[in-house]
Amino acid sequence: MKSHRELHTFSSGIILESGEALSSFDLMVDTYGELNSNKSNAILVCHAFSGSHHAAGKNDDGKSGWWDELIGPNKAIDTNKFFIVSPNNLGSCFGSTGPISICPETNELYGKSFPAITVLDWVNSQEMLLSKLEITSWACVLGGSLGGMQALQWAITFPEKIKRAGVIAAAAKASSQNIALNEVSRESIRKDINFHGGDYLKNNTFPKSGLKAARMLAHITYLSEENMDKRFGRKIQDIESRVDELVDYEVENYLQYKGEKFSQVFDANTYILMTRAMDDFDPAKNFNNELKAALKKVTAKLLIVGFKSDWLFPPERGKEIQLAAMQSGVSSSYLELDGQQGHDSFLFSNERYQKNIEAFLSS
Amino acid sequence: MNNPLTNIVQDWIQPLSNVIDFGCGDGSLLQELREHKQTIGYGIEIDPEGIVSCLKKNIPVIEKNIDDGIDEFSECSFDVAIMASSIQCLKEPNVALDKILNLSDKCIVTIPNLGYWRCRLALLLGRMPVTPSLPSSWYGTENIHLCTIKDFEDLCIKEGFIIEDSVHLNKERSKSGFAAIAPNLLSSEGVYLLARK
Repeated sequence: MKSHRELHTFSSGIILESGEALSSFDLMVDTYGELNSNKSNAILVCHAFSGSHHAAGKNDDGKSGWWDELIGPNKAIDTNKFFIVSPNNLGSCFGSTGPISICPETNELYGKSFPAITVLDWVNSQEMLLSKLEITSWACVLGGSLGGMQALQWAITFPEKIKRAGVIAAAAKASSQNIALNEVSRESIRKDINFHGGDYLKNNTFPKSGLKAARMLAHITYLSEENMDKRFGRKIQDIESRVDELVDYEVENYLQYKGEKFSQVFDANTYILMTRAMDDFDPAKNFNNELKAALKKVTAKLLIVGFKSDWLFPPERGKEIQLAAMQSGVSSSYLELDGQQGHDSFLFSNERYQKNIEAFLSS
Repeated sequence: MNNPLTNIVQDWIQPLSNVIDFGCGDGSLLQELREHKQTIGYGIEIDPEGIVSCLKKNIPVIEKNIDDGIDEFSECSFDVAIMASSIQCLKEPNVALDKILNLSDKCIVTIPNLGYWRCRLALLLGRMPVTPSLPSSWYGTENIHLCTIKDFEDLCIKEGFIIEDSVHLNKERSKSGFAAIAPNLLSSEGVYLLARK
């Protein structure tokens, strides 16, 4: 698989939905596969809130991309047929401009002063990337969870620049419960003694324990009860391999381990920014809260995918999008998959998932 | 053209109609209609293979068990709904038909006829009938509400559905003038175009 990583600089800057502006910004972008001669095979994949540009293949450290099960030669999103573009989102912390970048005006870290980012801002920045790559339109924009929200926003905002949208394990807006869960995560970060109101980097510190607890909570919401019971049950953690002496059960050890790993690579201000973007996503808000009105101008074909075991964005949330699209006369399909891994199911390939994505991309 | 209904149904569907096919299978009927009548069509299907085939044909398809109800579509509006070979599998076919006619101006429905002479003969000889319209054995069939042509037409009167047109099929599932002479005895299957009064 041909792959390429590049930092794209947009020196013209961007005006954000909040009205604030960035005078210049960078996007770290991976591409996989090759663009064909008439540039008709480009697919944008959008990551969920803690993801990065690294969607497929292995990094130097041997770590696989977040959607490696689906992107690659002969996989659901086949790199032999498609040119896959995978940017790290604006405001994230894996190379694109975000809270841990230097602000060109002040020559200081943005930190807490980094402006609020919305799903629409991501889509606008990705559209600038599309122009920079000199591609007229995406064959498809695909993503899961917060990535699916971007795919939906793409179909709404740039109907002439997108042929298909794959909205997977997503919702047309965060529910009250989604926002509540995000707020608990944010609260644990904010109340970490090392948070310093978001100015932790200036104080040469980091709200590691708050970020870790935030991730531990969030991680539970990505799994299903059945899946957790199958994997961990009530098994007692083996003392030799436990990560912390406070740990009793295997599931605790797992969450401690996952939270610890995450808190070593993720930025706390980014966490707050990303969860806010998810909470605020609501394309219907400018259309009298009618999703079908928001979808009226969509010309892309939509494929909405829900997973039965997902309780963060359950299948009903996907059905709502499909139904609104149908009422607006938008060509849209809905698929409900059995994935056992809860919300995270969208990350794992299986025969049905692969066949349907392939069919959708080939039609 | 593998769907025997294609020719019959085409005559009943105006160009550019908005069509919904409940139990659309592999989407071949909707594909034919799109080609010949430029219809905009949606398929509802539960079979995974059928769903993939629809996506490949670029037929919008919704994964759904019709038996779970179709209330969610109540705000949608269609010109024609197609209910081919599945009405007798539903828990409450009369309620389903009523709901379909709430969201669609017309409904095309097919009914395997238990009054067909071959079925009557099979029963007379003490066996459950197996015909091209009722192909499964008694233990394998999904049919739970079988009826005769007369029963179905009675239901239409009772529920206030107008039969705008009907066609009766022979054993080979093709349109048959002979079957139309005495459909309750001679046809294996009835195809109806229903509307509301």
